[in-house]
Amino acid sequence: MAELQLLGSLPRAELHERVRGRMAELGGALRIIGEDLLGADAPIDWVAVDAQGQVAVILLGKAGTELELIATGLAQRAWVSARLKDWLQLAPNLGLRAEAKVRLLLIGTAFDGIARQAASALGDTVELWTYRCIRNGAGVDVLLERVCGGKAPNPDGRRSRPPLPATTSAFRSELSDAQLGLGAAERAEFEDG
Amino acid sequence: MPRSLEDVLHFFLPELETEGAGAPRRSRGSAHPIVGVPIGDCDVVRAAFVWNLAVELSRAGAPATVLAPAAGDTSSLWPDPGRGPMGSELVLTFADGMADLARAAVDLAQTRAAESPAAPGIVFVRLAPAWLPKAADAGALLGRVLLFTSPDSRDLLETYALVKRIVALAPVSTVGVTVHGVRSVREAREAFSRLTAASERHLFRALVSYGLIVDDLHVYRSILNRHAVGLAHPQAAASRSIGEVARLLLGDLVREVPRG
Repeated sequence: MAELQLLGSLPRAELHERVRGRMAELGGALRIIGEDLLGADAPIDWVAVDAQGQVAVILLGKAGTELELIATGLAQRAWVSARLKDWLQLAPNLGLRAEAKVRLLLIGTAFDGIARQAASALGDTVELWTYRCIRNGAGVDVLLERVCGGKAPNPDGRRSRPPLPATTSAFRSELSDAQLGLGAAERAEFEDG
Repeated sequence: MPRSLEDVLHFFLPELETEGAGAPRRSRGSAHPIVGVPIGDCDVVRAAFVWNLAVELSRAGAPATVLAPAAGDTSSLWPDPGRGPMGSELVLTFADGMADLARAAVDLAQTRAAESPAAPGIVFVRLAPAWLPKAADAGALLGRVLLFTSPDSRDLLETYALVKRIVALAPVSTVGVTVHGVRSVREAREAFSRLTAASERHLFRALVSYGLIVDDLHVYRSILNRHAVGLAHPQAAASRSIGEVARLLLGDLVREVPRG
């Protein structure tokens, strides 16, 4: 068996890549929809959406800047939240639930008591995670561990999905089907197949 | 003491001809052409196309102004009002109906024409679709209308419905269509053909094609970042296609509108 060795850290780009590969461990079957996206005056490492349509903002922090990471995370979450309805229009196939609170996942090397209390006070949608870099023989791996925040998944591993809001109109003009004022022959012009 | 807004309006409007005390402030015969564009309250996509078109037209030498009602949450649709890149401009109006909006649009079109009588220019007016049924006295806004549609069948159906409304209100209106979100010229051509064929069959009206806007990530980034795609990514396919739409529109407007 190869000897395991704890590494201090990795170059940023490599760390980014390794954490990206471990995204599944963050829960919710996250699917990345944005990477290195310029958010509130700084890049957001990842924006992801889970199987239920809840959006997550994920930030990878630097050692010693955990409290700053929490503040930055809140700003970036606000930036993303304000744009969800626009994104939903641009890419309806992403299945975003714009009305759901955005998860904030902050990944750092260590979070002290103040950082944990601050995150806990912000509610379950703010999650703190730590990463550890481990050399395993010739390879390097990253371990992710939840510190606080987030809800335990259901026994079957899935989150319960709240009912979708009633759709008032499928049209960008916000006219309803009835308001279009079209007859059957006109509608038939635009039926597929 | 001022008694009404008209008494003080001259403080806010640009000073023009000063040929005499009795001279009209501006020539009523000259106005930039007005292009109405139906855009829903949350339709950031079409709003972004209009804003990008305005920038492209301005870059092509035809300063374009976008006039939009200030009612509701306009911050999600538009950049900050005022002068924008290349001489483009966004003006918000407190009009709360089509008649008010038409008056504001005509006033703006005349003012901008008087400011630069030698240059062509365009005023885009955002038409709230919910206001269209009450547009009987808003002919100025419906003389030329530009619609954006994707090739998606639901989008085409909605666009056709808008054409029907516009034609019912303004039978001599020129209705142009730009197909967006396409990956090929063929896809755009098929979508436009489907739309104009239906319009000719049921409304007895042909539509005017104003090109296409390709499905390009730069467009969506531009929408999110509130940057004109033509300035941020001039070599992008979307920039070139928006530029082409601007040239088509400008070509038609310059040919049709006599400069006074």
